[in-house]
Amino acid sequence: MVTHEDILNIANLAKLSVSPEELDELTKDMNEIIGFANTINDACPQATDFDNINGLSNAFREDIVVPSYDREEILKNAESQDEGYFLVKKRM
Amino acid sequence: MTKYELVCGLETHIELATKTKIFCSCTTEFGGDPNTHCCPICIGLPGTLPKLNKRVVEYAILAGLATNCEISRISKIDRKNYVYPDLPKAYQISQYDMPLCKNGWVELSNGRKIRLTRIHIEEDAGKLVHQRGNTYVDYNRGGVPLIEIVSEPDIRSIDEAKEYLEKLQLIMRFIGVSDCKMQEGSMRCDVNISVRPVGSKEFGTRTEIKNMNSFAHMAKAMDYEINRQIDLLESGEKVVQETRRYNEEEDCTESMRGKEDAHDYRYFREPDLVTIQVSEEMISELKKKLPELPQQKAKRYMEELGLPEADALLLTQYRRISEYFEAAIKGVKNPKTVANCMIGQMFSRLEGDGAKENFAVKVTPENLNALVRLLDEGKIRMNLLKATLEKMLDTGKAPSELISESDMGGLDPDALRAACEQAIAANQNAVSDYLGGKEKALKAILGAVMKATRGRADAIEAEKLLVQLIKK
Repeated sequence: MVTHEDILNIANLAKLSVSPEELDELTKDMNEIIGFANTINDACPQATDFDNINGLSNAFREDIVVPSYDREEILKNAESQDEGYFLVKKRM
Repeated sequence: MTKYELVCGLETHIELATKTKIFCSCTTEFGGDPNTHCCPICIGLPGTLPKLNKRVVEYAILAGLATNCEISRISKIDRKNYVYPDLPKAYQISQYDMPLCKNGWVELSNGRKIRLTRIHIEEDAGKLVHQRGNTYVDYNRGGVPLIEIVSEPDIRSIDEAKEYLEKLQLIMRFIGVSDCKMQEGSMRCDVNISVRPVGSKEFGTRTEIKNMNSFAHMAKAMDYEINRQIDLLESGEKVVQETRRYNEEEDCTESMRGKEDAHDYRYFREPDLVTIQVSEEMISELKKKLPELPQQKAKRYMEELGLPEADALLLTQYRRISEYFEAAIKGVKNPKTVANCMIGQMFSRLEGDGAKENFAVKVTPENLNALVRLLDEGKIRMNLLKATLEKMLDTGKAPSELISESDMGGLDPDALRAACEQAIAANQNAVSDYLGGKEKALKAILGAVMKATRGRADAIEAEKLLVQLIKK
């Protein structure tokens, strides 16, 4: 069961504020979402290894340098930039 | 008063010396204008896919082999979630419960083994510059490959912590997986510290000091933190589990934030990267690449070559130095002479760790070898060897270019005898002074012999012969 405390903790980690009205609703929603995902466990309780369903391993790349992108390209979508840096509001 | 002991474990981050980043082909070169070593993968744009650099896996396994770790045959990669601008994706790609290496150890000079819990691979974060109320973000370092080496809480003193870190640095440099420069941030560590009454089996509450970037700061921060914790316990208060930082100006540690629990990082498998399977062949291939490690080398220099411990340690400080030494001693009678030349005359010309690491001297090991062989063959004496080495260090010339045939060949016994007889004949006053009990007078006669032979005579032999001849 997902509790109010779980939601507040997750909200805190995601730096979101949650009002008391939203809290009830989000807790209910989250329980439904997790309940839905649990259907998979109910369907095949034996399966433990879903992570390698494609059977692939060791998809490696050789250590060879390829030129990086132009900085203008890299910064193109930045909301704010200065002197070649991404600029964000100070936090913490 | 209760006596306390330190319980300490280190998490050491080491940047791997690969050419490219861990999940994309951007360069890992240090420095560069901000955001010029970046691509859509390492700035975390949606729709991009990371692809693992094979050399990162190889280097991490080498690091594990060199520190007595078990290498996991199956390993996976996970996402560690936290929100901070140094991570453009809001998660760091790392390894959680299936690291590449585990259960290793590093041995200290006092014989204690510091156990290693694990070594895992992960990506470095970007660099933040806080100024004018804003944060400037440079992702050049973002995605540079790291290994994190986690030790068990086996360290019991500040000296042990320093030695452990020095050993790691030495080993990683030797096997060539990192340059481990603390001042450039390619090696940095977090120190976990708690104290407990001596004899107690339980651990106290620990704090973690983040991002130590020099040996000196680490020692100071540990000293402050140990005393802070003891003071708290002595006054009946509790140590709070938290993350702290070292404040260089005030020389103290200060609270950064409460320690987030591991599950707050909400680790889960990185769905974009497949399992790493390490085969026996891969491990045995890498084992072949593993050079003799500094500790073994130093031991061999002492046991097989008869070097004193201090010399052996100095010559195994950096891989280049030991390679130079090994090339220079080939076929020489006394390796100690080569060691003396290097540690004395050569080291004194190298300033700083960087110079020693590169061991960029003008003399090739072959030329040093040739010079020492001349001494072995009795063709030159120690004083001429030293003077010639100085000239070689200045000019980079071979000994054959600097020592003429007439300087070489030493002196055969007859020539030495003749020179001594002449010197005695020419210095009769000194001879009678010597016979009258003035020991020092002999030096004047010896000086005449050395002058006449232009330093080719062996001073000890000449002195013996002079005494014989005078007393006849």
